[in-house]
Order: sequence, then C-alpha cells, then structure tokens
Amino acid sequence: MSVRTPRTLAGRYARTAYLFLLPAILFFAAFFYLPIGNVVATSLRTGPQADQWAGLGNYADALGDPAVRHSFLVTVAFAVMVVIGSIVLGLALALALDQPLRGRVVFRVLLLVPYLTSVAIVGLLWRNILDPELGVLNRVLAGLGLPGQQWLNTAPLLTIACVTLWQSVGYTMVLFLAGLQGIPETYHEAARIDGADAWRRFWRITLPLLAPTTLFVSVMAVISGLQAFGQAYIITNGGPGDATDLSVFHIFNVAFRTRDFGYSSAQSVLLLVVIVAFTLVQLRAGRRGEVTY
Amino acid sequence: MSPNLSRRDLIRLAGAAAAAPVLSACAGAPPAPSAAAPGTFTVYWNAGHDYAAYRKVIAEFEQANKVKVNLQKYQWPDLRTRLLADFASGTVPDLVEEPGGWVQEFAISGNARSLQDFVDRDGGAMGFPADWQPVTVERNSYQGKVYGVQLHLTCNTLLYNKAMLREAGLEPPSTWEEFLAAARKLTKDGVYGVALNQDHTYVWPWLIQAGVTPYDPATGEIMGPREAAVEALQFQADLVHKHKVAPVPVSSTDYSGPQKLFSAGRAAMILTGPWDLDPIRKTSPDLELGVAPPLKHRTRATQAAGVSLFVPAKAARPELSWDFVKRVTAAEVERAATAETGMLMPRKSWAELSEVRSDPVTKVFADALAIAQDPSQQVRLTGQLGKWDEQLKVMYQQVLIQNQPAAEALAAFTRTAEGFLK
Repeated sequence: MSVRTPRTLAGRYARTAYLFLLPAILFFAAFFYLPIGNVVATSLRTGPQADQWAGLGNYADALGDPAVRHSFLVTVAFAVMVVIGSIVLGLALALALDQPLRGRVVFRVLLLVPYLTSVAIVGLLWRNILDPELGVLNRVLAGLGLPGQQWLNTAPLLTIACVTLWQSVGYTMVLFLAGLQGIPETYHEAARIDGADAWRRFWRITLPLLAPTTLFVSVMAVISGLQAFGQAYIITNGGPGDATDLSVFHIFNVAFRTRDFGYSSAQSVLLLVVIVAFTLVQLRAGRRGEVTY
Repeated sequence: MSPNLSRRDLIRLAGAAAAAPVLSACAGAPPAPSAAAPGTFTVYWNAGHDYAAYRKVIAEFEQANKVKVNLQKYQWPDLRTRLLADFASGTVPDLVEEPGGWVQEFAISGNARSLQDFVDRDGGAMGFPADWQPVTVERNSYQGKVYGVQLHLTCNTLLYNKAMLREAGLEPPSTWEEFLAAARKLTKDGVYGVALNQDHTYVWPWLIQAGVTPYDPATGEIMGPREAAVEALQFQADLVHKHKVAPVPVSSTDYSGPQKLFSAGRAAMILTGPWDLDPIRKTSPDLELGVAPPLKHRTRATQAAGVSLFVPAKAARPELSWDFVKRVTAAEVERAATAETGMLMPRKSWAELSEVRSDPVTKVFADALAIAQDPSQQVRLTGQLGKWDEQLKVMYQQVLIQNQPAAEALAAFTRTAEGFLK
C-alpha cells in the first residue's frame, strides 16, 4: 500500500507533527488511557474478582455512602488549604526572591529541593519530626520553654496540608518567579513616574499580570490537592479515626484492603468528574480576571 | 511560564493531570514478570522474617530442586497490594507468607489452593496437624480443608522494665486494677507508666479479657456483651486521657511507637508480642526486660496471632511449593529460628523444648499461647474482614486517640458492621 504524500505545506507540517507526537500518544494510550478505560469498565462490576455485572449500582452506592461523602469533604478541605497556601506562600517567596538579594539563587534551590524529593521520603521525615514524644520539633519547642504539641492528633489535616505545602511551595515559587520576570519593567517605571507606591504597583500591575500564572497554580494545586494520597498513606494512615481519610486513600483502601475493585473504580470515576468540573469552573472564572496592558 | 498560556493548553494540561493518576491507581499493577519462570521459585515474604534459619532452608531447597529461590520481601500492606494485583493478572508467586487472616479470605475467594491432598499424603510424617496448636489449624482451614500452614504462632503479653518496677517497689501487674495502679506509680519524670499502640489489632487482648465475643454468627450479635466491650475500650482511653499514665498514640502505619518509647526508657510497660523483643534487645541491650503473663479481667487470655504460608490457586508448581512448606515448618527449623530471634512457633512439641522452658522470656510467651484466642475467626469466614478492620481502626482511634466516648463510638461501629455482615 502506498502512502500518500500530503499536497499542501500545511498538510506536510501536520503529518510531521503527528509523527513526532506518536511516541507520546502511544505512551499515554498504553499507560493512561487504556487503564482509564479499564477502570470505567471495572466500575460497572462487583465482587472480589470484579466479575459480576453491577451496572450503575456502584455509582449509586458511592453517592449514598457516608464514608465516601466524609472522605470527599476532608479532601476538599485539604485542597482548599493547599491551594490558598500555595498561592500566598509561593507568591510571597517569589516576590522576596525576585529582589536583587545576595545568595538568592541558593535560596531558590533550597526551596525547590523538597519538591524534588519523593513524597514517601518527605512523609517518613515529617512523621518522625512530628512525633509528639520522640520527634525533633517538640524537643525544639521544649528547648525554647514552650509546651509540646500533638501535631498529628489535634490538627491532623492542617498538619499534613502544611507538610504538603513545605514540599510543593518551591515549585509554586518558581512558577511565580517566571511570571514575575515576564512582566515588562516599563510598566513599573511608568507607574513610578505617575507616583504609584510599591503596594499600589503590586495590586494594579503585578497581581493582574500574574493572573495566568495564578490560574495555572490554582488549577494544579486543586488537582494535586484532590488527588493527594501519600500524605495520608505514609504519615497518618488516614487517622486519627478517619480525620485524614483523603479520597484517593479511601479509594485505595476500598480496592486493596476491602477488596472491592468495582466500587473503588466507581469512586475513581466520580472523583475524576469532580476534578474536571472544578478545573473547568476555575478556568472560566480565572479567564474573566485576566487583563492586558 | 508564558503569561499567554491558552485556555486550550490549560484544559489539556489540567485534564491530563487530573485523569491519569487517579484512574490508573485503580487499574491494577503493570504486568508482573513471570513469577513462575522455569528455574525460579518465587516466594513473597515479610521483610522482618528474613532469618538465617530460613536462608539455610532456602539453600537446601535450591540444591534439592535445582531451582533459584526469588525471595521477595515486603511490608504487609505492600505485600497485599502486590498479591491482589497478581491475582488480577493471573501471574502469581509459588508461595506466600501472610500475616494471619488472609488464608481463609483467599480460600473463600478462590485465590488460595487447598493443601488437603498434600496433608493427607504427608501430614503424618511432618506431624501436621497433630503437632500444631489447634487454633493454628482452625484459622487456616475452610469448609473442612486445610489451605495454609502456620509458620509462627504469636501472642500479646506484658513487657516491663524490671529496674523501673523494682525502684517503684512493684511486682508485675496481673489484673487490670493492678495494671492501672502500677502505671500510676510508674508515671513520673518524663516516663509513662505504659505506652499503648494506635494499631487497632492491639485492642483484642483487652476485649478478650473482658469476655467480649466479636461476632456471633448464630445470633448476629456484634461485640457482645456490649457493656464489657465499652468497659474495655474506655479503660484504655482512660489510661491516656483521664489517668494520663500513657501518651496519646499517633495514628500511623507504624506500630513500633510503644516499643521505641519502651526502648528509650520513656515507658515502663508495654503490651506487645515477640516481634518487639529483637528491636528492644538490639537498641537497648542494657534494659532489664521482664515479661509477664497476659492480664486478667473477667478472664486471663490473649490474642493468638502469627503468620502462615499458603499456595496461590494458580501457582504453577504446587508440589514444589508444598516441599518448601514442609522444609520451612520442620521442627528443627522452628528450633533454629527461635534460637536466632526468640520467635514463637506453632508446634506443640516446640512449647515443650527444654530451651523454651528454660528461657524466662520465651517460656512466658509459650505458656500464654495456651490461653490465646483467635478473635477474628467468625468475621473472616463472612469474607468481610477487610471492611470490619477498616471500621474497627476508625472506632479504636476515635476512642483511644480522640477520646470519643467508647459507648458512642462502639454503637456507630456496630451499626455499620451490622450492615455489611448481614
């Protein structure tokens, strides 16, 4: 069979582009889209071997399951903390390290290192640091004459959100730094000539022009917040009680502890729908706030 | 990042990031390398049980059968994840060590092979089941057939710091009342009288001592008598929150917290099993370790635990798997493993060995095995142990860590359990 050569230049460009994309498409198809299809198919089945037809029964059960509802609310609360923290801390650090400070490159690298570290290592590290009896943090507090804290018992969700931020804020900072460096200096100069102080320039120039970056950061933070797993798995095991029973951890337990792959797959699909919905709403809302000068 | 990132770019990026990891997490593991490759005998083993005594068995097994043993070591949760993925893919190991409870679960689901034909043929020669403690045979059988062979038989009892009790003028406590009084007296100067475990499986000795039956399939009663179960749970919570003789445990996948406090001299007593003996001896060789019989309340009893071996239903060479089982559970191997690590064994003859009877630590554990019960048996046979354990973990931590009234938490637990045990 002969391969027809596209006659137009655009056609030839398109064919070249698709050829370059082919390895990535094959990779995603094999390792992501086929498993996704498998999950959707499994969600319609039930039993320890997921070999009995259940139709939409798993979806109906999940929507009425108080444990699913609870883990979803826990996850949303966790995601809100992570999103707000990522934006506020990431932007603050980016603004600080965008200044002509000595050693700022070193600080940037130091802040980025936790992001490059595996969540398992970060989890084990913080689990030991936060141990109320044998952990380093309470020893430091004791050295300062302060009372020890039950970090993982009194505010477990906030604590694992803080650990997540500690790990991820360096990446957010890098994104904001790139955004800041993309804002032409002439805008600030013009504003200075017009008598605008630093605070006013931040609100009227920097922040509006960072809107696309902020949108990207918030979208990614929502997605990663709703998908968080390692923090609950490594640090708290979902506890105390079910206080940190994040959705993906809950789904994992339904699959691998209670051995209900159909039910866990249905919950996965529902979580995907929620994440996509959140993302679309964010994009729609975020685009309204964008400005150009 | 470009400030002109298009909406399409964002949707594409966000959609891909959202969909892929969540969904692929549930899609089963990537195809495993063939566990039954010719010449290779694959065994899934607990990372903490890689004893020299078993390595010797492996070397002999390899020589006798002309195979290479691929001993894959896991922590229990990871082993379970891997095993379930293997069951789904159909590529299974030749032999699996399990933490107790999985044999019946996988027998019910058809993933474990019955060993009854091998037992009928070789049981007499190897002393199975005659030389095994009856509880170990019962927990590895389903519908009258043997599906697993117990490798270790353990139980939970009282470990104490002899020096601390001597300084306080105390004898090892025998009852709950004595235990509380001792813990009160021992709690001072940054030392807790006792450290309790956050892991829900540590609740069982208390419940058994209170006379609680977890599940009665004849009546459908859960955690009865209810008042006794509430009393057992509340007693533990009060040790932490009311009497303040124990630190608040921290929820985690790690159950070594009390052992670490005990080894560090920060807790005078812990309730645990032989798995903590080795770490205590290694990290605190100067600690004067005392072991006392299980506590008594309505009855003196403890929980039978320990690991077993089973052969997956799709294992390619069950005859070879059975040969490994026979070798690794032989009386002389039990003896060597105990000498090496202090681990307790399931053979009746093991409990009568002179070295077991003469060792002050092992002897107490060995005697406790006679009053050890398997509390999860009836729940396991319903096939709902996974759900039961998940709910029990939540309830136990709500009481022990979050100080929720025991009656309230237990009522919520039984309501939920009634739903899935029907």
